[in-house]
Amino acid sequence: MSWDVIADNFARFLDGAQLTLLLTVIALGIAFTLSIVLALLRDSPRWWLRHMIGAYTLVFRGTPLLIQLFLIYYGLAQFEMLRQSFVWPWLSSPLICVLIAFVLNTTAYTTEIFAGGLRHLPPGEIEAARAYGMSPWTQARRILLPAMLTRSLSLYGNETIMMLHATSLASTVTLMEITGVARNITLNYYIQFEPYVTAGALYLLLTFVLVGAFRFAEWRWAAYLQPRRG
Amino acid sequence: MTSKYKLLFAAMALVISGSAVAGDTVTIATDATFPPFESVDANGKLVGYDIELAEAVCKEAKLDCNIIGAAWEGMIPGLISKKYDALISQLTVTDARRKAMAFSEVYELPTFRFVARKGTNLTITPDGLKGKTIAVQTGTPMDAYVTKNFPGSTIKRYAGGSEPYLELAAGRADVHLSYEAQILYSFLRKDEGKNFELVGPRLTGKDAPEFGEGVAIAINKSNKALVERIDEGLKAVRDSGQLDKLDAKYFGPQE
Repeated sequence: MSWDVIADNFARFLDGAQLTLLLTVIALGIAFTLSIVLALLRDSPRWWLRHMIGAYTLVFRGTPLLIQLFLIYYGLAQFEMLRQSFVWPWLSSPLICVLIAFVLNTTAYTTEIFAGGLRHLPPGEIEAARAYGMSPWTQARRILLPAMLTRSLSLYGNETIMMLHATSLASTVTLMEITGVARNITLNYYIQFEPYVTAGALYLLLTFVLVGAFRFAEWRWAAYLQPRRG
Repeated sequence: MTSKYKLLFAAMALVISGSAVAGDTVTIATDATFPPFESVDANGKLVGYDIELAEAVCKEAKLDCNIIGAAWEGMIPGLISKKYDALISQLTVTDARRKAMAFSEVYELPTFRFVARKGTNLTITPDGLKGKTIAVQTGTPMDAYVTKNFPGSTIKRYAGGSEPYLELAAGRADVHLSYEAQILYSFLRKDEGKNFELVGPRLTGKDAPEFGEGVAIAINKSNKALVERIDEGLKAVRDSGQLDKLDAKYFGPQE
């Protein structure tokens, strides 16, 4: 065993963990906001809006994230027109491309999770809100959003864990997150077990934090959905 | 014991004993993203200088070889864990690699060069490339060399041998360091490479230890018998003039 290699390179693992965390937090943050809007419009009375959002979530849930990432990073770079345009300084950065791919992907899943939560809302609550004369905006703010978020909390918690683990794909386009660091060490020191175990342990640690945060959120905001004890 | 179990145990014994030489198939892996040395043609067949050399060596050494494509990152781990018996993939012999695997005799002394867009007028020195982006294949001698000598540059590392060229063409990287023969006989001959040129000094193992002693076939460290057999085969290929013929076929008459 050559754990000394891991000790010597531990600072790189910490840098990697920082990047992993950054990618996860930014991707989830943007996706959360987008998903709320899309989930509210997912069952819109306007058929074209409903179908457009449905088509988007179908495409991004129906294709592997790695393919989406490669299409955005390598695929778009093929077009001379795009390389000459004002978006290129953005699209030429692997960080931006990775974030675009991650946001588009996790937004698709989260939209469906939130929309599903919304469908489980008892119709009586909406009817009561209407009876009180709430405007659609007030209805959304007071009834729909809280119900949607609390009901989909555990599913959404899973999605955030999946997103954390999916950031390991960023190393395929040169970003040195945890997996990238582990891979680089395997290639330079010809050891396999130690770097990947270290990477796994770091992911596990980050997952614990996420799981803990969602446990807290469920206890704090979704407790009313649980059967009463004692 | 029923015959069914006997067969099972026989198969297990075969797997466990693994990588023998005589009579067995020798599995040789290559990272086929490195034309003209190793690549996959339109029919899915492995082609290139290293592939033809491996076939010739196996024929001379009377080995039954099976050459298969493998990803660069999994190749050396696969050799160490005995999934493959040998690797032929323009592998340079370095001290670090000698600790992890055995090598045949060196069959080629490569030269390493930078490639950049025509007319960029970059000075290939640590100062000249300060703030520039250098693309390399990860875990290669080129990676080790730029990591050590160009601390002021951004180094982008790719899993395969072909991605750096995509990035160069897309303008995401300013220079790429690779085998001169690969740049010259593959990239610069393609349409995408027509606006690019070789730049900077010709680097060899004499200039930096990272570039190693030369290119050889890597063999599992514990398989001494296979090292001998491959060396015999390599010697026969060299002595019979087949190696010169191969050089001429791929790289024109030697200067």
